[in-house]
Formats: sequence, structure tokens, C-alpha cells
Amino acid sequence: MSNKISESVSAFLDSQEAEGLSIDDLKQDQQLTDTWGRYHMIGDVMRGETGQYIMPDLANDIAVAIAAEPTVLAPQPKPSMGATVKAKVIQLVKPAGQFAIAASAAGLMVLGVQQANMVEQEPLVPSQVFQPIPFGGVADPVSYNYEPASISEQKQALIKRQQKLQAILLDHQKQIKLQASKAAAEEQQDTPEN
Amino acid sequence: MKFVPFLMLATCISVSANAQQQPSTESTENQAVEPELRAQPTAKQWLLRLSDSLRKLNFDTSFVVVRNNRAEPYRWVHGIAEGRELELISSLNGPRKEAIRVDNTVSYFESNQQPYSVNTDSISGPIPRAFTSDIEVISLSYDLVEVGKSRILGRPAQLIRMVSKDKQRFGYWIWLDIESGLLLKAAIINNEGELLEQIQFTHLTISEQSNEMLGQLLEAELPETHQSSPEVPKAEFKWQVNWLPEGFEMLESNQHFVDPINLPVDFILFNDGLVDVSVYVSATDEAPRKSTISQTGATVLLTQIREGYEITVVGKVPSQTADAIADSITFN
Repeated sequence: MSNKISESVSAFLDSQEAEGLSIDDLKQDQQLTDTWGRYHMIGDVMRGETGQYIMPDLANDIAVAIAAEPTVLAPQPKPSMGATVKAKVIQLVKPAGQFAIAASAAGLMVLGVQQANMVEQEPLVPSQVFQPIPFGGVADPVSYNYEPASISEQKQALIKRQQKLQAILLDHQKQIKLQASKAAAEEQQDTPEN
Repeated sequence: MKFVPFLMLATCISVSANAQQQPSTESTENQAVEPELRAQPTAKQWLLRLSDSLRKLNFDTSFVVVRNNRAEPYRWVHGIAEGRELELISSLNGPRKEAIRVDNTVSYFESNQQPYSVNTDSISGPIPRAFTSDIEVISLSYDLVEVGKSRILGRPAQLIRMVSKDKQRFGYWIWLDIESGLLLKAAIINNEGELLEQIQFTHLTISEQSNEMLGQLLEAELPETHQSSPEVPKAEFKWQVNWLPEGFEMLESNQHFVDPINLPVDFILFNDGLVDVSVYVSATDEAPRKSTISQTGATVLLTQIREGYEITVVGKVPSQTADAIADSITFN
């Protein structure tokens, strides 16, 4: 290799314009490529940037390893199938999206820590404020394991009553909703179907 | 360099999007306020204006209902598009609960049952229907008093009190936006002056154009109108209610089954223009029992058993009123 070309490579290395040498030339010519690599190595060693080990053939090793890898033949997805699935997803998502509501300022209103867990409970279960049915009349349990049958019966009755109250409360709300306003009903009769 | 035109395109889109949003963020400051409202409107005029604003303005708002130390957030959007009135109220926490209205058809979507529609001109939900209906009916049972001005949701507000004339029902305090007449806060107060339940708005946008989301309701297919097949309307009951606070009128009476416990009941619904009270009567073999009261927020649920019947009274009325209604029932 002529000195001139070596000089050009050196100039290239220093990010200077080199006469009659382009990066493509450098890539084509194995000898030039080697020179290029060697010059870099020299520079690295002089600057102490090589680390502990110098592995000049690392790139070759990697190239060989890649070549040795088995080829994975991934099946191409059928384009028609992909299209229909996508269309369905859009259809399903859109109506929900129409009414989907961004978390609003309401969420920011802090009203107490205990609410965070309580708002999930639906629907409202009325809390008993007045309980005239006495739990009394039953002697206090003597041993730890002793539980009179009547207490659990009473508990069950209480749960049943709570469920009944809740059902009635929900029914009350539903019945209110079902009230067609007279004005609207009359208007509907005037124009049966649009 | 290829990404530069793309960037420019993106900028154009975002600029035009901003331009579209602009009118919606504009408030109705320059909307002409009716001249008579300028000169100290009365409470009744305020309520008429509220009802009018709730029907005519395009608004997008959020509020929380606070009762028993719990808050339930909702979003409420209303608008006029293509000459049709559109409305959406949606609960934001927990199972989905939504109500939409297109003119005189209200559809309810709830997670635990089939959606259904009702022919009515107002949604039954957290906002009392009375605010969009006939104010005259309310003024028969309630004194309407304009109290004072305060600041709610960062806006000047007018407080109106609806005070029960006979102390047989709860009082309503409502704060209205002085600028638009819309609702900013509402509270239900008992006769001792204690707060039972309140609705606090957390955000309000009034716009020239109806919300785009509402426009989609025009194309949406609404569920079928509810068929009242399991109910026997105008049934002959073996009992009657002999006392109610003045102003309550019967809206509905039927026999139906209460879901999901399948309890057959005789049912009557009363309304005084603002509050609904339901009376349920069902046969039972349980021993007679004096009145038991449960209360959530302002909603009172009272049950008693006598003469082989369980009587249940539900509604936003004081427990004394519910008790008096239940006690007045006689069996033939």
C-alpha cells in the first residue's frame, strides 16, 4: 500500500478531507479496511482507551456467530385476518369510547381518606340508626366457644332484613326512573313513530 | 430531513385543534342577561332561570354527591345539537351507571341490568328533576327565599333556600351561578339545620357549541322503551294511606315484584313536586314490630309490621313524616 493512501486513511481518521478517498472505497478494499482498523487501534492504545484486553477480531467473531445462528422462519400473519380483527376491535371500543369519561376534577376533590375504599360499595346500603329489636334476652356467653344458636339466627335474620331493605331502596329508585312524565307521554302519543 | 414536513403537519393539526377548542372554552359572559334579572330577581325568578338554563345551555360539568362521609363523582353534559336536546349523566366511580337523554327519551345503562328507555323529559338521578320542571308546584309546599351571595366553584353565586312550609319535609339550599343561572351546589338540610346530603360541582364549562360527544348520541341506537308487563297498574289495594303532608300527590300505584328477592308488593309512589315517597305493603308472617328506621344521607327507609303486613316507606323525608305516613295506613 502506498504511503499516499496510508496518509489519506490517516487524514480520514482525523475527520479531514482526504484526496481521492471516500468511505465507500474504504469499505470495498479489505486492505484499506484493515489499515483503518489498525490506525484506530493505535490511537486507542496511545490514548489508553483499550481497556484490559485487546480483541482485534471481535467483529469477525460476532459475524461468524451470527452466520452460525439458525434462521427462524416466522409465519407471516394473514393480512385479511388482521384487518377484520382490527375492524371489530374498533367497533367494540368506539361505543364505550363515546361515553368514556376522562378522570375529571371531581377526582381531585379530597374528601377524606376513608372514602377511597368506601366509594366502591354499590349500591348504598342504609346504615341502621335506630334498632329497636333487642339483642338482649340472651345470657352472656360463659366460655369463649359458647355461642347461643339464637344469636346466629338473629344475625342471619338481620342480614336478610338488610338485603330486603336494600332491594326495596333500589326498587324505589327504579320506580322513580320508570315514571314517564305526563307531558312526554302525551307528546309520544301524538307522534307515535318517527 | 424527512421528519420535518411531518413535524410541520403535526403542528398544523395541533394548531387547528386548538382553534376548534377555543369556542368551547369561551364562556357566555357576553350573553345578554335578561333586563329584569338585573334588578334583584326573586327566588322564583332564579329558579325559573335555573330551569331555563338547564334546558338551553351547552354545558359540561362534574360534581360529587356527598352523603354519609362518602363522595360519589359524576359527570354531566348537556347540549343542543341539530335542534335536539341531549344530556348525559354518568357516575365515574365503581360499576358503570349512565343515563342519556335525547329530547323526551331517557335511557338508563346500569351494570346489573338490561338497559331500558323511558319516555320522559328529565333524567332521574342525583340532580333533582324538580329543577327542570314546574317551579309553581314546588312553591305550593316550599317557601322560596333568596338569601345571599357567596363564592362557589370560584364563581359568584346566589343562595336560594327552599324551606318546607309545614316542617314535614327537608329543606333544600341551592347555590346558582349568577352569570349563567346554572347549579353550582345543592344541600339538603333537616329541620335542625343539619346537613344531610350535598351536591358540590367541581368543574363547569359553558360553551357556544354542544359537546361533540353528545352529537354521537343522535346516531346511537337507544334501548327499547321499558314494558311494564309484570306490573298490574291501578290495582285495588286492601289498604289505604290516610295521611300525607299537603302537596303530595299519587304518581303511580301498582303491584309488582321487588328484584332480586322476588317480593310481591303493593306499591304507591307519591310526589310533592320535589321529593318522591314510596309506600310498599307486603304480606308477612313475622311478628308485629314497631317502626325501624334506616337513613342514608337524606333518604329514610322505615319499616313496620302490623296486622300481618309489612309496611315500608322510602323517601327523602324526615323520619317523623315517614312514620306518620306508615301509621296512617289502615287495612280493610
